[in-house]
Amino acid sequence: MSGTLSIIVDITLNSLVLSGVFLIVAIGLNITYGLSRIMNMGHGALYAVGAYTGFSLVASGLNFFAALLIAPLIVGVIGLIIERTIIAPMRKRSMAYTLILTYGLMFFLDGSIKYIWGNKPRFIELPEFMQGTLPILGTDYPVFRLMTLLLIIIIMGALMLFLNKTKIGIILRASSTIPEMVSCLGVNMSYVHMGAFVLGCVMAGLAGIIAGPLTTIDPLMGGEMLISSFVVIVIGGLGSLRGAVIAALLVGVVQTLAEFFITDLAMVIVYILMAVILAFMPRGLLGEGKFE
Amino acid sequence: MMNRTATIPGIRSEFHPVKIVFIIILLSGLAVFPFVSDNRFYISLITEMMIYGLLAMSLDVLLGYTGLLSFMHNAYLGISAYAVGLFLIHVSPTSFWLACLAGIAFTCVVALPVGWVQVRTGGLAFALLTLAFGMMFHTIVWKWYDVTGGDDGLMGMPNPDISLFGITIGNSGDPLVMYMFTLVTVTLCFFLTRRIINSPFGAVLEAIRENESRAAFIGINVRKYKLLGWMMACLLASIAGVLFILYKGYIGPSTMSAFAGAGILMMVLLGGMGSLWGPLAGAFFFIYIQDYISTMTEHWEIYLGVVVIFLVLFLPTGFAGLTDHIRRLRKE
Repeated sequence: MSGTLSIIVDITLNSLVLSGVFLIVAIGLNITYGLSRIMNMGHGALYAVGAYTGFSLVASGLNFFAALLIAPLIVGVIGLIIERTIIAPMRKRSMAYTLILTYGLMFFLDGSIKYIWGNKPRFIELPEFMQGTLPILGTDYPVFRLMTLLLIIIIMGALMLFLNKTKIGIILRASSTIPEMVSCLGVNMSYVHMGAFVLGCVMAGLAGIIAGPLTTIDPLMGGEMLISSFVVIVIGGLGSLRGAVIAALLVGVVQTLAEFFITDLAMVIVYILMAVILAFMPRGLLGEGKFE
Repeated sequence: MMNRTATIPGIRSEFHPVKIVFIIILLSGLAVFPFVSDNRFYISLITEMMIYGLLAMSLDVLLGYTGLLSFMHNAYLGISAYAVGLFLIHVSPTSFWLACLAGIAFTCVVALPVGWVQVRTGGLAFALLTLAFGMMFHTIVWKWYDVTGGDDGLMGMPNPDISLFGITIGNSGDPLVMYMFTLVTVTLCFFLTRRIINSPFGAVLEAIRENESRAAFIGINVRKYKLLGWMMACLLASIAGVLFILYKGYIGPSTMSAFAGAGILMMVLLGGMGSLWGPLAGAFFFIYIQDYISTMTEHWEIYLGVVVIFLVLFLPTGFAGLTDHIRRLRKE
């Protein structure tokens, strides 16, 4: 009996951790899309940049928690440069062009990653106290995964507070609903779009360094995560934050279960889930085209 | 998404004399090329360009004329190629035309239910559904090791002889034969597609692209025509797939990946959508640049990314838009 219970606990916690990582990447993508109607194909690559930067910072002897703060900031600065140089001039063009532009960006970032860090898989060295396991209901669960779960909850809480309670957050949310009105009230929309893009990049970087110790860091991680986060925001509804939370949980649980039971074709189940949901609910679960 | 204005069908279907001369020169140039040049490398490169040109053209039917974006059109090239390969390995290693037919038929059988689900939506949802289905096919091919060879790809495919009316033209393993066969097929497909696009059927597709609800109001069955447009695009892609496997003799899952799919999309946008010849030119350019940069440096992705970014920033309407622009300047 205890064997079954420990498997259930294991699967539940694993799917929660996976959902959490999906959620942070997908929310970053969703913020960028919801606020400025830009579907950033380079988001996955930025996630990988976050992971690699985290690796380099920790490898150079920095504390893991300090790296957790600095790596997303570095990715944010990269995002700022990208936004000002190539995204901002493209804002008025149709979506097909920004898709292709950010696709080029993805190539550039992936190529730069291979140039700087090479093709070798990397691992983030964890602090001593996070390397052990903790007994929970008959299973020994890695402490790091529990810490990750805690971190994800803290990040989501902070993001919700930022979007709901601070002035900048309120301006961001308002701009997604009635951009003209916000513009009339004297807010420079160019900065709002910039803020949204940079916030999305910071989230990608955060997810990267959080997910780094969970998996190996290799040049393919960005592309895989990009597709997964597409699936999440499409199921949840484009631009919908609540939808993304539900969808991330759904995809995380389905993927973990599918990997446990059929291993090889796990992702096929996830794509079929997406196709079925979209066929009957073309806007996704909670997609109203609004950002809330 | 589309800012090309609709043209009255019929007017565009007539060739300008200058264009006819240009097309004849281009085609005869391509036909003579392998006899003039001994360079095997360029012969196979141009074959690949033509195959991808056909695929980009098929995506143009969907994107430029029907207004539907497909992220993973290469999936249908892949399905067709795998079907031909498996047919030649397991069923009959010599019957060439039967294998071609098997590839095209199988792709249509797969594409029909997928299209039926997809046309129920539109816009971005359609685009993302194509991504979901495409990734599904990619994962199946990648993970179903026993049938598809998984990561290693499909290997050991026999090369059947190409024969027409009882006369054997050559073996499909010969690059020169495949070059000629590809050239003839792609040319036929181009003129046939052009004819279909300039027919009333093409006009209906363009009406749907311009305004879907208006098209529905005047009694057009929008879903049916979207599905027909989708099937036509998939049919052309499957022909490209047949050519692909015969020319390469090999197919791996990376041909069906999302990144390769976005590459096809890029060829269409580079060439300019809604012009049929533009995507062909886009494919030639894209493959050449990719090849050139990858021979120059190991880190070709960086340079490819930079080239793409600059092209989108400074040449957004593609080559077709550029010629339109020149024509307008000359008129003024």
